[in-house]
Amino acid sequence: MAENAKRNNKHLLKRMSRQWQLYVLLMIPLAFALLFKYGAMIGLVAAFQDYKVVKGFWDSKWVGFEVFRKIFSMKNFGLAVRNTLLLNLLTLLFNFPMPIILALLLNEVKNVVYKKVTQTLLYLPHFLSFVIIGAIAYQMFGVNSGVVNNLIEHLGGQRIPFLQEDMHWLFTYVLVNVWQSMGWGSIIYLAAIAGVNPELYEAATIDGANRFHKIIYVTLPCIKSTAVTLLIMNLGKVMGGSFESVYALRNAATTEFTTTIPVLIYQFGIMGGKFSESTAMGLFQSVVGVVLVLVSDFAAKKLGEEGLI
Amino acid sequence: MCNRWKKIITTVLVSAMTMGMAACGNSNEEAANDTSAGKLAQEQESEVTEGVESETTAYTDYSGGFESTVTLQIPVFDRAYEGWDVTDNYYTDWVQREFGDKYNIDVEFVAIARSSQVQDYMQLLASGQAPDIIFHYDMPQMLSYYGEASMQPIDFEEIAFYAPTYWNNMSETINMYGQVGGENYFFFADRPDAAYNFMTVIRQDWLDAVNMEVPQNLEEMNEVLAAWKEAGLGNGGGRLISNSFIYDYPYRNFEMDEKEHALYSDLAVAAFTWEPTYRYLKNMNYQYNNGLIDTEFYLNTDDQSTQADFVAGHSGIFGFYSSNNSTIIESLLQNAPEAKLSYLPVSANAPADCKPQSRAYWPFGMIMGINQDCTDEERAAVWMYMEWLSQPENLFCFQNGIEGENYTLDEEGLPVVNTDYDGESKLSPNNNKDYWCLVAESVTYGDDEAKTYEANKRLWAIPGYEYLLDDSYSDYQAVAEYRTTDALFNVVLNSLNDYKAELTEQWKALYVKCVMASEADFDAVYEEACQTYLDAGYQEVLDEKQEAIDAGNYR
Repeated sequence: MAENAKRNNKHLLKRMSRQWQLYVLLMIPLAFALLFKYGAMIGLVAAFQDYKVVKGFWDSKWVGFEVFRKIFSMKNFGLAVRNTLLLNLLTLLFNFPMPIILALLLNEVKNVVYKKVTQTLLYLPHFLSFVIIGAIAYQMFGVNSGVVNNLIEHLGGQRIPFLQEDMHWLFTYVLVNVWQSMGWGSIIYLAAIAGVNPELYEAATIDGANRFHKIIYVTLPCIKSTAVTLLIMNLGKVMGGSFESVYALRNAATTEFTTTIPVLIYQFGIMGGKFSESTAMGLFQSVVGVVLVLVSDFAAKKLGEEGLI
Repeated sequence: MCNRWKKIITTVLVSAMTMGMAACGNSNEEAANDTSAGKLAQEQESEVTEGVESETTAYTDYSGGFESTVTLQIPVFDRAYEGWDVTDNYYTDWVQREFGDKYNIDVEFVAIARSSQVQDYMQLLASGQAPDIIFHYDMPQMLSYYGEASMQPIDFEEIAFYAPTYWNNMSETINMYGQVGGENYFFFADRPDAAYNFMTVIRQDWLDAVNMEVPQNLEEMNEVLAAWKEAGLGNGGGRLISNSFIYDYPYRNFEMDEKEHALYSDLAVAAFTWEPTYRYLKNMNYQYNNGLIDTEFYLNTDDQSTQADFVAGHSGIFGFYSSNNSTIIESLLQNAPEAKLSYLPVSANAPADCKPQSRAYWPFGMIMGINQDCTDEERAAVWMYMEWLSQPENLFCFQNGIEGENYTLDEEGLPVVNTDYDGESKLSPNNNKDYWCLVAESVTYGDDEAKTYEANKRLWAIPGYEYLLDDSYSDYQAVAEYRTTDALFNVVLNSLNDYKAELTEQWKALYVKCVMASEADFDAVYEEACQTYLDAGYQEVLDEKQEAIDAGNYR
C-alpha cells in the first residue's frame, strides 16, 4: 500500500518535472490570487478595530463586534440592504433570461453578415464604462433636455422623469443594465448552443418538430446546466452588485432606491475615511454572498443539477 | 536556455512575493517607527556633527545646511489646470535652487487633488506617504485629521527659532488658535481681510430687457427671476449644496445668542433643523415650484456644470472666484455677444427683513499641522521653508513671477501684469496661490489698504471688467459688519466625525425633497425630514456640541 503511494508520488513528481514550464506558468496566476485576493483579506481585521490610518492594523484598538453593532443600528443600513437585494434581484430577473433569449434568437439568424453585425452591436455596451453610460442616460432621459423627452413632447406627450423620480428611476436602471449586459452575457450561451449535438435537431426534424419546438425541446434542455451554473454564480452576487452602475445613475432627487451597500461603502470608506465601518459592511456583504451561493448550490443539487462546488 | 529561463522566472516570482510581503509588513514597521519617532529623531540629531548646538536654545542650528540630505515633502493642491504640472514646473525648480540646494534639502511637492483632498490625504496617511505638512482650509476637518492621530504636537519656541519672520507675522494667531486638547498642534497662514475676489454676477442685458434694476434683496430677486421667466430669457441657475454649509447666513437673525450660534453655525454639517434653514428651503421651494431656478439644480454637482449653464445662456446668475486670466466672460461672449454683466450684491440673497449676512473668515487661511511621521530634521526643514517663504522677496516672486517677463513695476512699485506672457516662468492659472498659501491667503502690502487693493485688482480683475471687482470691493466693505465667523471648538467632536458622511448624504436627499415638494406640502415634508435628519445622527452632534458649549470649549 505504502509502496503504491510512494510510486504514485514518484510518478506525479516525474510528470511534474517533465512539464515544469506549465507549473511555473501556473504560479503566476496563483501568486496573483494569493497576493491580491487572499493577501488583501488581512485588511478585514479593520472591521473589528477602531481603525486609525496612522496607527495601522497592529496598533489600532481592538473593539470586537462594536463596529458591526454600529453599522447595523445605522439609519441607512437597513435601507441599503433592502435596496441592494431589490436592485440585484430585479436585474437578475431581467438580466438572467435576456441573454438566453438573445442567444436563442441569434442562433436562429441564418444570414452570417447580419448576425455578426448584430452581435457586435450588442456586445459594444459591455465595453463602455458606466460613467459614460450614466452620462448618456442623462442626455437621453433627462426631464428638461433629454432626447427621449424632447421626442415625447414633440409627439404631444408629457415629459417623463425617467431618472428623476424614484419608481421611474428603478425602471430606467433595470432597462439600462439589461441593455448594457445582455449582449455580452449571450456569448456563453451561444457557445453552449454551438455544442449541442446536431443529431438531436435532425431527430427532432424527423419527429416533425418546427423551429420553435426545437428551441423548446432541444436547445433549452441542452443549455440548462450552463444556465443553472450561471444562475448560482449570479445569486452569489445578489448581495454584492455593481457600485458604478448605481452611482453613475443616481442623483440627489432619487435616493429611495439608490442607497445600496456598495454606495454606503464608498461614502464611508472613500469619502468619509471611515475604514472600519466600510470594511465591516464589505465583510457582511461577502458573508451573505457566500451563504447565498451555498444555498443555491444546495438547491441546484437537490433539483438534480450538477451544482458548482 | 531552459535553466536561464527557470532562473529568470524564479527571480521574478521571488521578487514579487518579497515585494508583497514587504508591502504587508510596511504598516507594522511604520507603527514601530511611530512609537520610536522621537527617540530616533533624537539619535539622528546627536549624530549630526555639522549642526551647531545653539548656545541659548536646545535647537540645532541648520543655517549652514543639513549634513545629510533631508527630504521635505510639501503638499500642493492640484486643481487639474490644463498644461500645468503642479509638482514639476519652473517654480518647483526655483524653490529647489533657491532654498533646497542652499540647505541640502530635497524639496518634493506632493499633489493633493483639490476636489478630493480628504480622500487623498487619508489614502496617503494610510500608506505612510503623506507629506510633512497636513493642511486644510477648515478647522472641523483639521480636527478630524487630529482625531486620526495623524499629527504630532509642535513646539512654538522651535518655530520661533527656525522661522523668526514667520513666527513674528503669525505668532498672535498661532498662540490664539493653535491648540487642541490642551496641546499645540496647528500653525497658520495669514488671511488678510480681502475675500472680495469671490463675486456673483448677473446678466445686465436680461435686466434691461425686462426693465428692471439689479435686485437689492430677495424679494426683488424673485421678481427679477419671475420677469426673466415670463420673458423667456432664462432662470437663476442653481447647484446641489453638498459641503461648506453657508447657505443660511442671509436668513439668520443678526446678533443672535452666542450659544445658539455656536450650536448650529457649522461649515461641516448642515443645520437642517434650524429656523434659518427652514426659511432658506421655503424660499427655494417657492423658486422651484415657480420655475425661477434651474429645476434640475440637483444634477449640477460641480462648478463646471453651473458655469456651463451660465455660459450657454440658460441661467443669468453665476458666482465665481475672479482672476485676471479667467475665461468665463470670454466664453459667455462667444455664445451671447450682447451679454452685459453687473455685480450682484450680497443683499440680493437676503430677505428684506434680514441683514445681508455672510460668513467671515477666521483671521487665518490655511491651517497646518506636522505629520506624525516627521523626524526632528524634517520638522526643522518645514520651519526653514516657512521662513524662506515668508521673506517678502520670495513671496513676491512666487506671486508675480519674474520681472520683465511676467510683469513690470510701475512707479508705485506695484507689478503690472504682462497678460500675454507665455514663457517658462508663466504662473499657474490662480497665480501660484497653491504654493504661497502656506504663508498668506492673498497679496498684501501691510496696512496700506489702497495699495493692497490695487495689487489684488491687477491679479483678480478680468481685463475690461475692472468695475466688477470695484463693485465687489465696495460691497465687501459695506456689509463688513454683517459678516460673522463660525464657532471654533477646541475639542474634537467625535459625533461630528462619526456622522458627518451620513449627514451630508441625508442633507442632499432631504433638502432636495423639501425643495421639490409642492408648496402646500412643504411644511409637512420639512417636518418629517427634520426628524429623519435628527435620527441619522444630528441629534447626537447637537448633544455633544451642547456639552462642549456648556463646558466653554469653544470660541
